[in-house]
Amino acid sequence: MNLPKIDLSALPDLDVLTGVFGSLAKPAQALVQDDSLIVMMVFVYEVTHP
Amino acid sequence: MLAHPAIAALRSDDAPQRRAQAALGAALEQWRSTPMVRTAEVELTRCSDGADLDDLPLLSALFAESDAAARFVSALVGVILQELTRDPFGQSPLRHYIDDAVASVTVLRHGTTVLTLQAIDGLALGRKAAPASVRFVPCETWEKVLAGSASAERIALSGPRPGGVQLDRQPLAIDDGSVLHRRGQVEALLLHLVPTTLVTLRLQRRTACSDITREYALEDGALLHQAAGTPRDSRLELTAALLGRMGRRDAAPLLAAMAEERGNVSLRWQVLRECLALDTGEGFATLCRIARDDADPLAAHAGALRAQLIEAHPQLSGIAPCPVS
Repeated sequence: MNLPKIDLSALPDLDVLTGVFGSLAKPAQALVQDDSLIVMMVFVYEVTHP
Repeated sequence: MLAHPAIAALRSDDAPQRRAQAALGAALEQWRSTPMVRTAEVELTRCSDGADLDDLPLLSALFAESDAAARFVSALVGVILQELTRDPFGQSPLRHYIDDAVASVTVLRHGTTVLTLQAIDGLALGRKAAPASVRFVPCETWEKVLAGSASAERIALSGPRPGGVQLDRQPLAIDDGSVLHRRGQVEALLLHLVPTTLVTLRLQRRTACSDITREYALEDGALLHQAAGTPRDSRLELTAALLGRMGRRDAAPLLAAMAEERGNVSLRWQVLRECLALDTGEGFATLCRIARDDADPLAAHAGALRAQLIEAHPQLSGIAPCPVS
């Protein structure tokens, strides 16, 4: 059967979205009370020598 | 930039720092091999597996009105300070964290159950804006105050209301030696005033992985935000999104299986969307199975999406095993 390709953006989300682990609506006031804090560290390195 | 000469010297020769690091690591290993810490590790594993705290003699003694917690923590802090006094460049291999108000060290960990030593600086806490929201996390917490005091508030969920919940707020005085216990899904603690520094030993155990964290406005209990309850759920959701962006049609059967697992409904729905976009046949058959399962919390959403898709693409109604309702 020839099925249509469905575009992801045409598929609805649930009524209330769920953010990633550790995300907060009011982060400025939050006191760290558990291990749900994520610190992201960016590593930049060369993959080829100049 | 100013650098202390001793730190600047490490740039050309980092051997002293490596030696300090190794010495601190060895001292902590020795601490870990003591009978008390070995017992704590065994009990932490049992706690992580769901054992009642009352059945764990050492851990329950740490979170009781005795000086057991102070003795346990003193042994660890003594080891670290002794090494740091000898060589201040050593860095603790125990996971640690510091910001302007909180310093914490993960003493022991098994899975998602952690024993943490934490210090909260009252002056820095006072500089923060008053909290406007409260989080209820899928986590059970025991706390023993080792030093300091605080004016706090115990906030409990007392019932649902449209768009949020009703909050029951009770003032709570925390003193040196206090023992606190709370089930994070229905109880939260807010610190308002810490006169000096509050030092606590804290045991936290995450509950079932499908639970999520909810954040409500303190003012009226309105739901402000939801977040995944474990890093694993977010990792899986990001992985599914990546497979979708990569156009990995071969991953569709795996995504279909994930969408039908029991667990975080938000994760399952996102995975189902990716599956539908990657492979219409596989995704639509999965959507139909979910829609037909009345016990599935996603059944109504899946039924609505199935109807919407059939209206837009009538040929989908021919896909087995989907009876069109």
